[in-house]
Amino acid sequence: MNETPRPFYWTFITLCGLVIATYILFPVFWLFLASFKTRDELAQLPIAFWPKDPTIQAYRDLFDSGSQSSQLLNWPTLISNSFTVAVTSTIIVVVLGTFAGYAFARLKFPGRDLILGGLLVSRMFQGAALLLPTYRLMNMLNLQDSLIGLILLYSAFGLPFATWIIASSLREIPFELEESAMMDGASRLQSMVMVVLPLATPALITAAMWHFVGAWSEFAFASILLESNENKTVTIGLASFVELFTLEFQRVGAAATLVALPIMLVFFFGQRYFTRGLLAGAVKG
Amino acid sequence: MGSVNLRGIRKAYGAVEVLHGIDLDVEEGEFAVLVGPSGCGKSTLLRSIAGLETISGGEISLAGKVINHLPPKRRDIAMVFQNYALYPHMTVAKNMGFSLRLSKESKSEIDRKVTDAAEILGLTELLDRYPKQLSGGQRQRVAMGRAIVRDPELFLFDEPLSNLDAKLRVQMRSEIKELHQRLKTTTIYVTHDQIEAMTMADKIVVMRGGHVEQIGSPLDLYDRPVNMFVAGFIGSPAMNFVPASVRDASVMTTSGAEIGTQEGVESVGEAIAGIRPEDLRLSDTGQEATVSLIEPTGSETQVTLRTMDGNLILTTRDRLDLDVGQAVHVMAAPGKTHLFDAKSETALKLRESA
Repeated sequence: MNETPRPFYWTFITLCGLVIATYILFPVFWLFLASFKTRDELAQLPIAFWPKDPTIQAYRDLFDSGSQSSQLLNWPTLISNSFTVAVTSTIIVVVLGTFAGYAFARLKFPGRDLILGGLLVSRMFQGAALLLPTYRLMNMLNLQDSLIGLILLYSAFGLPFATWIIASSLREIPFELEESAMMDGASRLQSMVMVVLPLATPALITAAMWHFVGAWSEFAFASILLESNENKTVTIGLASFVELFTLEFQRVGAAATLVALPIMLVFFFGQRYFTRGLLAGAVKG
Repeated sequence: MGSVNLRGIRKAYGAVEVLHGIDLDVEEGEFAVLVGPSGCGKSTLLRSIAGLETISGGEISLAGKVINHLPPKRRDIAMVFQNYALYPHMTVAKNMGFSLRLSKESKSEIDRKVTDAAEILGLTELLDRYPKQLSGGQRQRVAMGRAIVRDPELFLFDEPLSNLDAKLRVQMRSEIKELHQRLKTTTIYVTHDQIEAMTMADKIVVMRGGHVEQIGSPLDLYDRPVNMFVAGFIGSPAMNFVPASVRDASVMTTSGAEIGTQEGVESVGEAIAGIRPEDLRLSDTGQEATVSLIEPTGSETQVTLRTMDGNLILTTRDRLDLDVGQAVHVMAAPGKTHLFDAKSETALKLRESA
């Protein structure tokens, strides 16, 4: 950077960042460390920070079909359910959101801005207010206790924001590029797929990440809609787990780490797109 | 390659009509330039020909075929946009080959055509670069390359040089003209720069307010403008206009001084005299004036003169011995005064003998 160094300012900012990061991450890190301890070690006083003798026994217990925990909660099933729901609804949201976003960005129709704004406002209601109506609706449609119902629900919840973020990113792409593609012989769909979407990749990835993380960690709706054990998702599993194994804290730690892992991976690999996607429109690229 | 024929082209946005029935014929292989001030409808007309705007009335034919209702992709027209509109995520080669890829040509055919076009435009070294790694002039060339690989019936250029600096603009101007002489593809070129129009065109179409004011060769428009708008728009510095009357071929300003002579014009009490700066001379008699500004450019000198009838601009290649504030007399070279009707602003007819 070429600007005048302001040592005090930067030190202060960095310190603030560190304090906030520690404040937020310490409990998470504590849980993560706990997953490598033994039950006895967790019960010991004084409390040791680092595991004395790190072990992955807690993780083994989660997947060991003979163990007490896996008889009550089948983790492979939970994980597979969560993946099915999160991945499928992400695909639905990104594909539909792309077409809807394109329409909002490129086509002129009456009430366009109002509808796009309305989509976003609809997401500002507290989800809790929708719990009961949703439960009734799913019952009427006979979709309670089914992953398909949950996929449809998450897709409906995720579409407005995905549409909005994709539309705002597409608006930044000069229409002349598409006109140019049309002069080159492209149809509208070809110009969208071959010219516009490659340029909107950061927004598409952001929308996908945002939705995947939300769907993976959603708890409230999953907990009222899913009843049978073979349909449950990881968040419900984790909640039941906390109730069941309050004294086996290392197992709770292992389960929580496992649940958080996909989200961390998603952010680790998608980070650079994520900031770019959310900043679309802030600066001219 | 084909001729373009426009008949009664109208374009309205809601209740606002921006093109009021344009008729225009561009011959096969001709380089036509649409020129006019911003908002005159020249770009809209170009985009209508391209198919990027739907017209509200009239008929567009290309190579004898009516194309109004065809989408852009089926019109066989290539267009170069003002900001080049290169695809940022594709290399130069991909940019140039895009249209061929869409028309499902074989890979070897695409490669051959792209290589040929790159050679013509001096882009061979740059084929693997991305648009953001190119200079303005190089981007401009890629945009042209994208147009020429297709060998279309018609090229459209929408103010292609307006984003370049002055020096590059002059260079690209000659390159485009040379390219046209080489390829002989019918071309319609839009600009607001009358010098570009004059230097490049076989045929200039001057537009104003959605109407065509005059169509003709560059020198035609320069020597015989049909009205004051064309007279003032073509030529730089612009033509001088002064209120005048004509009696016995003598053109007098309102202060009674003679400013020029023009044979073959009926006597009129009220007219506008138009004199090009290079036709205005210092003389012993004529309009009194005071020198208010002297601007030498090296090759010629531009002198601003203050008179009772407003300012006059004079240009000359002579080295003048003038001072600011000096009193002089000026007059137009004989037969070099244009006369316009004071109300309708159209050119007064000259008698045949003149």
